[in-house]
Amino acid sequence: MIAVSVTRITNGAARRRICGRSLPYAFIAPIGVLLLTVSIYPVMYAIWISMTDASLLQLARARFVGLGNLLRMIDDDVFLQGLWRTARWDAAVVLSELAIALPIALFLNLSFRGRGFVRAVVLLPYVIPPAVTALLWVYMVDGHFGVINDLLVRLHILRHPVSWLGESGGSFAVVTVAMVWAGQPLMAIILLAVLQSIPRELYEAARVDGAGAWHSFRLITLPHLMPTILFLLLLRTIWMSNYVDMIYIMTQGGPGFSNYTEAVYSFMLIQQFDIGYASAVAVVLAVILTVASIFYIRHLVRTVLT
Amino acid sequence: MARVVRRVWIAAGATAIVAFCLAPFLWIFIASITPEAVPDASKPWSSERAVQYFPAEPTLRNYVDLFKDVPFALYFRNSTIVATGTMLLGLVLASLGAYGFVRFRFVGRGPLLTAMLLTYMIPSVVLLVPLLVILRRIGLIDTFPGLILAESTNTAPFVLLLMINYFSTLPRELEEAAQVDGCSPLGTLVRIVIPLALPGLVAGGLLAFIMTWNNFVFAYLFTNTDNVKTLPVILRLFVLGEPAVWGVSAAGAILTTVPVALLFLLFQRMLIGGLSAGAVKG
Repeated sequence: MIAVSVTRITNGAARRRICGRSLPYAFIAPIGVLLLTVSIYPVMYAIWISMTDASLLQLARARFVGLGNLLRMIDDDVFLQGLWRTARWDAAVVLSELAIALPIALFLNLSFRGRGFVRAVVLLPYVIPPAVTALLWVYMVDGHFGVINDLLVRLHILRHPVSWLGESGGSFAVVTVAMVWAGQPLMAIILLAVLQSIPRELYEAARVDGAGAWHSFRLITLPHLMPTILFLLLLRTIWMSNYVDMIYIMTQGGPGFSNYTEAVYSFMLIQQFDIGYASAVAVVLAVILTVASIFYIRHLVRTVLT
Repeated sequence: MARVVRRVWIAAGATAIVAFCLAPFLWIFIASITPEAVPDASKPWSSERAVQYFPAEPTLRNYVDLFKDVPFALYFRNSTIVATGTMLLGLVLASLGAYGFVRFRFVGRGPLLTAMLLTYMIPSVVLLVPLLVILRRIGLIDTFPGLILAESTNTAPFVLLLMINYFSTLPRELEEAAQVDGCSPLGTLVRIVIPLALPGLVAGGLLAFIMTWNNFVFAYLFTNTDNVKTLPVILRLFVLGEPAVWGVSAAGAILTTVPVALLFLLFQRMLIGGLSAGAVKG
């Protein structure tokens, strides 16, 4: 009798211990399986397929070509010029975003009535679909009925309306403006959060010491913002390098190849079923960005943060 | 005097910022209530449309045509299904996972957490080809479950991160009390933690919804038919001038914006922190 109940108790304890040990895994298993299937396995698959000449139409006939796609890239003008186009797009968008977001953040850091409303409005362009932003700007710069052409003609900046998206420089400018309009709120709101964390005493002390607005900006505000600014520049650069939506919707990469960043190029290759090479372009882009980020962060750690 | 100057200066700044952010919406809204110009038969070479700052006779005709001439209602339904599905999947799986990571110490916890959060750093461009091939192979291309799974590559790790942050701020004592009273770990999560974490869940869920509602590339590549395609896909056709009625396209843009803009404005206090956390996606 006693022996039986003892075994039952120890059995129960053992079961509870095993349960207790595997319990956390039961909680994380579902999301683990999901991420394994939709992220981790696909990344490995992307790396593998980037070493083949796979076509979406004849997937079974894909041949392993090793680093053959790299050789193809070295000979591929669209890819090589795409590096420059990607850098140009990143620089234009990210620096313009900063140039607009910083003043907005400084302004929102003042206390005034209706600040909450202005802050909400500032974020609005960031939360709407990129496809809508694309439509807004394509509509506004249209050569016939676009309001921007009309205003520029009225202000005598242009002599006659321009079909902006029809030429390479114009379409790049329009997509950049649209992207900056939609992307700057994120920087503004993050910079605002940093501004609000700067202790007020610092400014008061500076005022007592006779520092003007410019001096306290340069000696207090800017040093506090700098780490975040440098971090945001990196994040947005990575993000913009991988950005497809608005470039594709507004310009389809054109006219010609003028807006083919590497991400857009990869996206176009997929639509031509050239998925092995498309994957290779995407993977090479990711590698370049990762290596560049590591150098950038190491540089920051050495110069700014020490 | 100085105060007056400051007030004028602030009013000017606020007006400039609000105008910069809202003017494009205003312009597209005006376009959406502008009746389509009747082509002038005597001048077939000139464009039918001219710049119009405000229509003489505002109309809702474009909104009616949007539902009549374009399968807009169908696309709207599809977007709602995909965004809601992705949101729910992300919320359930991320809540479970976040609870596991926050409340338990176990072998492999650190590496597993790092691996899951790192998936958020994978650029979508790299995932396009493999997701396309995999979805085709398992027969989920051009289906809601397939698109929801694909969208989850973006949303699930993001919601997981938000939930982990949120759960770690909750007091542990309540959960311990519940467990002393005989509540199972899952029961504790459902009865104690979830209600306490409701603001965090709302933020995570809504951001997942908005991300999915807005995503173009996945919806474009992984769908073929009107029964699954989402709003950004049809908006691209509008941008290309199809249908060639700009008022209808403008109405479509307005109605695509309204749900996410409303959700954002209603819950913006909860969402702003999450938006900043989402800055890393590339």
